[in-house]
Amino acid sequence: MKRLITSIHKEFLILIRDKAGLAILFLMPVFLIFVMTLIQDNTFRELDETQINILFLDLDGDSLGVGIEQGLKSSGFFAVTTKMENAELNQESMNRLVVEGKYQIGIVVTAGATETIRNKAKSVIEQQFSDEDIGNESKHGLKESGKIIVYFDPVIKNSYKQTVMMALQNFTNNVEAKINFEYFAKEISDQLSTENKLKFNSEGGVEIEEQYATGKLTETFPNSVQHNVPAWAVFAMFFIIIPLTGNIIKERDSGSVLRLKLIPGSYLVSMMAKVSLYIVVCLIQFVLMLIVGMYILPILGTPVLSLGPHKFALVCMALAVALAAAGYGVMLGTIAGTHDQAASFGAVSVIILAALGGIWVPVFIMPGIMQTISLFSPLNWGLEGFYELFLRGGGFTDILLQIGLLVSFSIVMILIAYQYQRIKRI
Amino acid sequence: MPLEPIIQIENLTKTYRGSDVPALNNISLTISKGEIFGLLGPNGAGKTTTLSILCGFLRKDFGVVKINGFSIEKESNEIKKIVGLVPQEIALYETLTPLENLRFFGKMYGLDNDKLRQRTDECLTLMGLDKSRNKLIKTFSGGMKRRLNLIAGILHEPKILFLDEPTVGVDVQSRNVILEHLNEINKKGTTIIYTSHYMEEAEQFCTSIAIIDSGEIIVNGNPGELIRQNEGCTSLETLYLLLTGRKLRDN
Repeated sequence: MKRLITSIHKEFLILIRDKAGLAILFLMPVFLIFVMTLIQDNTFRELDETQINILFLDLDGDSLGVGIEQGLKSSGFFAVTTKMENAELNQESMNRLVVEGKYQIGIVVTAGATETIRNKAKSVIEQQFSDEDIGNESKHGLKESGKIIVYFDPVIKNSYKQTVMMALQNFTNNVEAKINFEYFAKEISDQLSTENKLKFNSEGGVEIEEQYATGKLTETFPNSVQHNVPAWAVFAMFFIIIPLTGNIIKERDSGSVLRLKLIPGSYLVSMMAKVSLYIVVCLIQFVLMLIVGMYILPILGTPVLSLGPHKFALVCMALAVALAAAGYGVMLGTIAGTHDQAASFGAVSVIILAALGGIWVPVFIMPGIMQTISLFSPLNWGLEGFYELFLRGGGFTDILLQIGLLVSFSIVMILIAYQYQRIKRI
Repeated sequence: MPLEPIIQIENLTKTYRGSDVPALNNISLTISKGEIFGLLGPNGAGKTTTLSILCGFLRKDFGVVKINGFSIEKESNEIKKIVGLVPQEIALYETLTPLENLRFFGKMYGLDNDKLRQRTDECLTLMGLDKSRNKLIKTFSGGMKRRLNLIAGILHEPKILFLDEPTVGVDVQSRNVILEHLNEINKKGTTIIYTSHYMEEAEQFCTSIAIIDSGEIIVNGNPGELIRQNEGCTSLETLYLLLTGRKLRDN
């Protein structure tokens, strides 16, 4: 124990005198959390907080044009512009403004769009109440030329595009239903020779209630902070492998390892000291990142990070991730021939494991094969464990699988390092 | 009366994986207690391989090696307690001070605080590093680092001390201090096994030498006697060149 404390003290002195290493360990992760959370904040915010800029041109001037404009404005999802300050808004200028990226979407309701709906409704209703076969042609002789044209900026996300198209479809359906209903009611009144007292009600009969699926009592809702802080915390904690492998390789290159190997049991103690110290470093990193999520990011307008009710489970989870990261660092530092090799392979491998683990892109949108591969990434185990605690309100028993996998990973890594050392003696 | 052997090597053979040529080919040596033994030879001759096997860093293929009567395979922990090593590299932590380095290695060797303080003070003073005890090693000259490298290997007063080119790249003054100190500890009973490329140094410093080349011992004995036995040799360097040739040994 005395030798372990001596070794930890030595490692501590080396660490605190390495200013660049300290910056990598503590400032970079905090910076990473800042940048990634703020960048991704919009994606996770409710749509009414991040309105889509829409140019709207109503050439119809009738029920459809008015209905769509009102619908777009009242939905709160869209910032609707109908007039330009210094130029006339027409189809040509709208197309240009969207191409230039000044607006993401342009919508034109062409002249006669409502009339087209009316004619069609009239035709259908009359067809229903007539014995003659009128056919598909409008007997009113009006050409069905009205339509809605939507211009999209090519860089716009598909999800935004779908949101706009669905909203337009919804508003158009409402107007169509209203017009159909009016014609239908009028026709019934005419047939029955009574006054039309039927009123159109566009509200649906079935209520749609939105809830997040969780078996636990939690008031935490998914947002950028709840997603990003644990995700980038896991990523940053695994980045301790860079200074840790550097430390191991430097010790080996300097020959200090030879001295240690000549002192019975001290090499093992020295490795234990490194693992212990870097686990503490990981935990400090984690606490720093939680502080950023709880107190600093909210100043910049993000939601406040909620840790969930199970603090003990949170500490265990952080400890398991730290252990896995330290184990990986020990393995890499033992096997790598040079510091450059370890640093470049270490950094790239963590980025790959992070990508596979769902840190960059959620696992559920990956192709099937990648979703299967992601199950083998220790960063995925860490992330899933934190999501269980942060988003699903889970407790210690809910993260036992992840903790088990991470601890096993660490043990396997250390055994590989040990075995490699033995082979090297031959 | 024959001196008591402390290191016995019989038919030691080692071939590295992937190599057809043995690094050590059936070598036998006996080093007596209290000797300063020089293991000399060109690059790639087998000196470092021999030291690595003696220290337990490498496994031998064949042969018997005993240190102070202990088998290097079965009783390696017993051996580790009585040996010290001064590697060719500056095997110290550059961002620590001499005091921090020596405290670390001393405590790892199990020295208690009083003994550690006494040894640290004594060695730092003898090696002329007392005033620099609290400065970071990375600010030291090559000679200062070499002297401190030696202290870290002898802090626990080993019975047997392995030195791999302890004076390489240092100035005359530092070399003089290092050799004087090594003579001092030898007089106190430490057996020294050292490798060097400095023949003049080895001739003056060693009580016994072995010249090794291509994994085989060519000669073994007292340097003065070996020089006298070989006609035309006036120094250890001329003997060495006679036995190992003048061809460059880059590998």
